[in-house]
Amino acid sequence: MTTQDRMIDLASADDATAHDGGDEPAPVLTVQDLRVTFSRGGRTIRAVNGLNYQLRAGRTLAIIGESGSGKSVSVRALLGLLPPSAFVSGSARLGQTELVGLNEKAMRAIRGDEIAMVFQDPARSLNPTMNVGQQITEAIGMHQRLDKKAATDRAVELMKLVRLPAAERRFEEYPHQLSGGMRQRVMIAIALASDPKVLIADEATTALDVTTQAQIMELLADLQDRLGTSVIMISHDLGLAACYADEVLVMYGGKAVEQAPAATLFSHVRMPYTKALLGSIPQLTTPSHGLLSVIGGQPPDLASLPQGCAFRPRCPNASDQCLTEPALTEHEPGHRYACWHPVGAAGAGGSADGDRARVEEVS
Amino acid sequence: MAVTDASAATALAATETEPAETERGIRWARIRRRLLLWVPGGFVLLLFATCFLGPVVLPLPSPVGGDVLSSALPPGSPGHPLGTDINGNDVLSRLLHGGRASLIVGVSVNLIGLLVGGSIGAISAYLGGRPDTLIMRILDVFIAFPSLVLTIAIAQVLGPSLPNTILALTAFSIPAVARVSRSATFRVVNMPFVQAAELSGSPTWRILLRHIAPNIVPQMMNFAMLGMGMIIVTEGALSFLGLGIPPPAPSWGNMIFDGQQSLSAAPLMVLWPSLALLVTVLSFNLLGENARDEMSGR
Amino acid sequence: MTVIDEAARTAREEPSSTAPLLSVRNLVQEYVTRGPGGVKAGVVHAVSDVSFDLMPGETLGVVGETGSGKSTLARAIIQVERPVSGEVVFQGQDLVTLDRRKLKATRARMQMVYQDPFGSLNPRWRIEDVVAEPLVGHTDLTKDERGARVDELLDLVGLDPRQYRRRRPMELSGGQAQRVAIARAIAPEPALIICDEAVSSLDVLIQAQVLNLFEKLRADLGLSYVFIAHDLATVKQVSDRVAVMHLGQLAEVGPAAEIYQAPKHPYTRALLGSVPVLDPATGAARRPVPLTGEPPSPLNPPSGCRFRTRCPIAQDVCAEVEPRPTPIGDGGRRVACHFPLGE
Repeated sequence: MTTQDRMIDLASADDATAHDGGDEPAPVLTVQDLRVTFSRGGRTIRAVNGLNYQLRAGRTLAIIGESGSGKSVSVRALLGLLPPSAFVSGSARLGQTELVGLNEKAMRAIRGDEIAMVFQDPARSLNPTMNVGQQITEAIGMHQRLDKKAATDRAVELMKLVRLPAAERRFEEYPHQLSGGMRQRVMIAIALASDPKVLIADEATTALDVTTQAQIMELLADLQDRLGTSVIMISHDLGLAACYADEVLVMYGGKAVEQAPAATLFSHVRMPYTKALLGSIPQLTTPSHGLLSVIGGQPPDLASLPQGCAFRPRCPNASDQCLTEPALTEHEPGHRYACWHPVGAAGAGGSADGDRARVEEVS
Repeated sequence: MAVTDASAATALAATETEPAETERGIRWARIRRRLLLWVPGGFVLLLFATCFLGPVVLPLPSPVGGDVLSSALPPGSPGHPLGTDINGNDVLSRLLHGGRASLIVGVSVNLIGLLVGGSIGAISAYLGGRPDTLIMRILDVFIAFPSLVLTIAIAQVLGPSLPNTILALTAFSIPAVARVSRSATFRVVNMPFVQAAELSGSPTWRILLRHIAPNIVPQMMNFAMLGMGMIIVTEGALSFLGLGIPPPAPSWGNMIFDGQQSLSAAPLMVLWPSLALLVTVLSFNLLGENARDEMSGR
Repeated sequence: MTVIDEAARTAREEPSSTAPLLSVRNLVQEYVTRGPGGVKAGVVHAVSDVSFDLMPGETLGVVGETGSGKSTLARAIIQVERPVSGEVVFQGQDLVTLDRRKLKATRARMQMVYQDPFGSLNPRWRIEDVVAEPLVGHTDLTKDERGARVDELLDLVGLDPRQYRRRRPMELSGGQAQRVAIARAIAPEPALIICDEAVSSLDVLIQAQVLNLFEKLRADLGLSYVFIAHDLATVKQVSDRVAVMHLGQLAEVGPAAEIYQAPKHPYTRALLGSVPVLDPATGAARRPVPLTGEPPSPLNPPSGCRFRTRCPIAQDVCAEVEPRPTPIGDGGRRVACHFPLGE
């Protein structure tokens, strides 16, 4: 039995025990009221302000947001990768373990073993002075007791798993000898070294060409099917989320503003921010020289969030009611959003379409 | 990848450079940084004031032409707060005048080095290609010489005097500054805004002056401050070897030279100028390190 | 989507002659890579024999991935790096043959906007000086006249002059900084602006604003653009015609709508197929179909057609004979393929 067969067996074994009786697989990660603040020069930066979600076994959650939305900070909080000046509160349970407030020693045992992360820039996340094989065996060695030969074999298995061509030869190569796509595969191999339950892909394909991105995403989807890994993908690309995620969470100003299964969210957009995002993406099918629908303003300053809804200053639907912060509630089955004046709800117009050019405010 | 303002990201980046964890810690770190800038800075100012204004303002006896009868007086003697040396000259006066000489040398060499060396390096990097290679090979010849040997050789040929000392020291300052200026310029010259300036029709001299120069000045100032200490010490070495400021004019270097001859009898003769040298070099170094950060707005 | 008034646009485009504004012929750019010790280790064929025309008032989109040579192409056109061979005829003059002094005179009419909005602005200068710089270099305006023009320009790009004149780049957001860069680019009243990934570093919402600004300026000032990007949809949004580049070679060029709806080159089809599609109206999503194989190295490109190692329909002839861009149909469409799709 090869290692790969073993891994697939493990996956199906996990699956068998993972269901809690219903159709939904059991949650592997439950995040409740996660908050992260930084203190800097007398100002408090509220990077994450109450995040709630559940990640189920074998599923993909996409966390979407622009810069400054807090999406990267929130996952780094899970892994304890924030600087000491960050204050994390709330709860994040991985199985039985509470991640918030976990001491460094216990966190190190979990990092890479049960949760692993793939970063955006493979050029900078790989050590340029070590060959790639060594970097993978190092990752293996951190959580498993294998002798050198066994570790090397496992490393080669992993490289084959991530479809690195000519794996045995590549073992000896250095990161600079590989293309961007290949480096990212190495990163994924390192992340999967100990068959983690959760894989976090933080803008993992943003720096890649579109053809390479397609390959890597297909690889991740395939690996998820085989290994049963749950994936959190952080991105700003709605198209990517629509194609690969089971559930989508949209963040703005450190909070989740809309949360729903992917199919529902994109066909029945409710949050004006999400709608604005959708409307401002150029489409392959529209005629040239059209104008995109835009909204003015800038993302909020996390050190001085506006009163009430963070999107209020830029929202086309805003009213005085928005000075009271709307709570993230499940207005429709499976579809949560935080808005007093959602788009298209209750027969107000259907789904998202961006066909009005708005007056531009500079940002 | 988006470049727009990301408060969280900047917070992340910023807090990673400061060890402060609490509000108070952050305030204290800022105070400490200010102190590190103003204390050595203040001292340097004090130094200049003392050495240049002191002899004018204070009623000190002349540093030369002392009376042999009042030689080797101990510190605290009336009219001679630090005593006199074996020739009867007032030590304090010699210290201050010597400081003046050393500082003049330091500042002059630095200025010449910055202007000439800085320009050579920046122009060389901007032109690139063959002209750059040519200039660098010429400079390499100078850099290849052990700096002290080169300086001594030149001083030997020119003869000991204040202007000659300055000249000799620039031989080793200019290539060093040129190197730093060249690498600093390379970093700037590849930035799109330089290319945009060319597209805007700005002539080369204006690009060098208004685009390149302002962006390499912080680094150059830092280098200059650090170099100040080195130059004064080298001047001291030259004088120590008899090649620098000719006696009886004092400089810290030749005071140490004279002092070492009577080390067992009057150890303080070496101590005063050495101490002065130490404190000066330390202040310039500290100032240089912290001034650069302040100038770059970090 | 609001489409710019067709009549106004075509009116401006109706030039007295139909001579191209920019005519690039057989452009070649190569870089020598050196190993340790400066020994020549190889040659990167960054741009290999690229030709195209750009008519006045037109936007040509250039799309390609890493190593396609699109940015090198931009630099070779604007002559910040002299190409190894080829012609770049701009407003009737071949820029490649001009010496530095004569070249400088043409600079006013061809400008560039860069990818990094902050890298393209001197961090120590004030905005008013940044925008005035081309006026100093290319015009004889007095200081006051320049000041008035700077105000005008800032207004055109949507920045309030009173608020932004005295600021420095580090006080601006990415979108604002890019607007300043655009103001500077239009200051000398150029005929052509080359946008090198000009919106790629911006957040999606800001990107949309800046794209709209490009369109507005195009309509108001009659500009032509060469718009370089790796994002297919962005390029489509702004371009009349699109050129697809692969590893230094021109794969396909033609009207934007045709290329996107009916690509003729297998690489173009593969590119289009690799994009995750989301229809904002219905929420329907389509997963990309990935291309197999790794992109070839620019140091050692495959013989003949450089796409053949990943092409699903490659034959022996593709390795032996390099396909040249040949006209196909009418409408100025050219494809460099021995077996164009749909033929």
